[in-house]
Amino acid sequence: MKPDYLEMARQVLDRQVVDANNVPCGKVDDLQLEGGAGKQLRIIAILIGHGAAADRLPELAKLILRKVMGKRTVSVPWKEVTVITNRIKLGKTARELKLDESRSAAFKIISALPGAWKK
Amino acid sequence: MKKYLEVFLSILTAMGGFVEIGELVFTVNAGAKFGYSLLWVVLLGTVGIIVYGEMAGRIAAVNQDPVFYLIRERNGYALGLGTLIAANIVCLLTCAAEIGGLALVLKLLVGGPYRLLVLGALLFLLWAVWFLSFQAIERVFGLLGLLMLVFVFSAIYLHPDWTQVGRSLLPNLPHVESPRDYLVYAYFCVALMSSIMLPYETYFYSSGAIEDGWNPSDVTMNRIIVVIGFSLGAVLAGALLLMGAQLFLPTQIEPQLPGSAVLGPVVTFGKWGLVLALVGMFFAFGGAAIENALSGAYNLAQFFGWPWGKFRPPKDAARFSLSWIVIFLLATLIIITGVDPVQVVEYSIIAAVVILPLTYFPMLLVARDKEYMGPHVNGRFAGALAWFYLLLITLAAISAIPLLIITHGGEG
Repeated sequence: MKPDYLEMARQVLDRQVVDANNVPCGKVDDLQLEGGAGKQLRIIAILIGHGAAADRLPELAKLILRKVMGKRTVSVPWKEVTVITNRIKLGKTARELKLDESRSAAFKIISALPGAWKK
Repeated sequence: MKKYLEVFLSILTAMGGFVEIGELVFTVNAGAKFGYSLLWVVLLGTVGIIVYGEMAGRIAAVNQDPVFYLIRERNGYALGLGTLIAANIVCLLTCAAEIGGLALVLKLLVGGPYRLLVLGALLFLLWAVWFLSFQAIERVFGLLGLLMLVFVFSAIYLHPDWTQVGRSLLPNLPHVESPRDYLVYAYFCVALMSSIMLPYETYFYSSGAIEDGWNPSDVTMNRIIVVIGFSLGAVLAGALLLMGAQLFLPTQIEPQLPGSAVLGPVVTFGKWGLVLALVGMFFAFGGAAIENALSGAYNLAQFFGWPWGKFRPPKDAARFSLSWIVIFLLATLIIITGVDPVQVVEYSIIAAVVILPLTYFPMLLVARDKEYMGPHVNGRFAGALAWFYLLLITLAAISAIPLLIITHGGEG
């Protein structure tokens, strides 16, 4: 029988996030929690982006990663998570959550090349 | 019928894509230095890549999880990031060596200045990956790489001592002139095994399974392709070693260029042997260059969670597409400086063996997880073999760099 609890570090953190159309839109790079000593701990949001991931590294590595990859982080409210399997599925599209590919600098270069819009 | 054809073509593709520049250089050199003696390492490495290739394909078919999803989930972010950086350095160096190899083959085929041929090779590879579908890339490069079978016929034609060949399939030590030569032998054992078990093969194979839309019903097909395709590929690697032993050992020649290998087909089949061998090498090296550039891009996309795959229009996987383009460009930049591709491949193979345990351990953890794999979890036999190889590659990883330094890269 499956346990009726979630192991956040094993089953949520570092998992692939997909939007409502199953398009990959990042990893669970960190979790935002609410609460404190003697209070109930609650998950507020999942954090997606290099800024959040870099915080989990030693100082020098953090600095380098932020320089190379940027520090953009998107906070997705926990209530947007609809399914948890080996993917973390969200209830909205990547575009609605500002996680879509067209926001990347690479999109500007690649989309201008001939054949970039065809499969 | 369509399924059988797909399996048949996939076996041929796996076979045609088995040998790349590193394996070619190390197997021919191994034969030239130690005769048939290292054949057992080819066998040992082949079983190893079958075990882990099958596992990577099975995990991808069952859960749609490619290798770098597993590395991040099981190794954690920091160790996973370290593995990603090391893996992509190896992919970049291997891609550079393959592009250098392509230019050397073009020089033998059509002639011309080396640097211009490097640029020609780059343009050809960029065109192929941008405009061809994943399936077309697999088939064209895999099937035309099969022209390298001319090396198998050539090795047979050179009349090796089959009794000795049979004996060399078991672990053995050759008769050498000085005790120091045993260290060179150990270096070749590690390098040859690494060249057969290169980690990019599992990155590419598992990502390819997802590109091809595999599902749990394809688990058996995966097993057949890996076992038969890789075994036949190993026959080609073994043939290169035999050819090195027959042609170069008696004359004490150390073949340092990939082009030296074509001497076998030339001696046995003349001009047509030369053409078939060179065209086969062109597509085998080209296929490996593409596999390494795409593997580097797959690794980045899968680690950071970007959309990826050739099945998407490039603009929908823009960061993935830009990544493989940049890897091709950087690889060309490395090789156009004039650095020897064979030297590059030697370093990339030794670096590869160091990251093998970090790649294979998370795969093993997932493949033996019943909750994750359901009925497709590792059986006892597959599990035992996987642990044995993990131990073996860990020992190889520990000894690789000291052996590289002590033996001056196998020079003695």
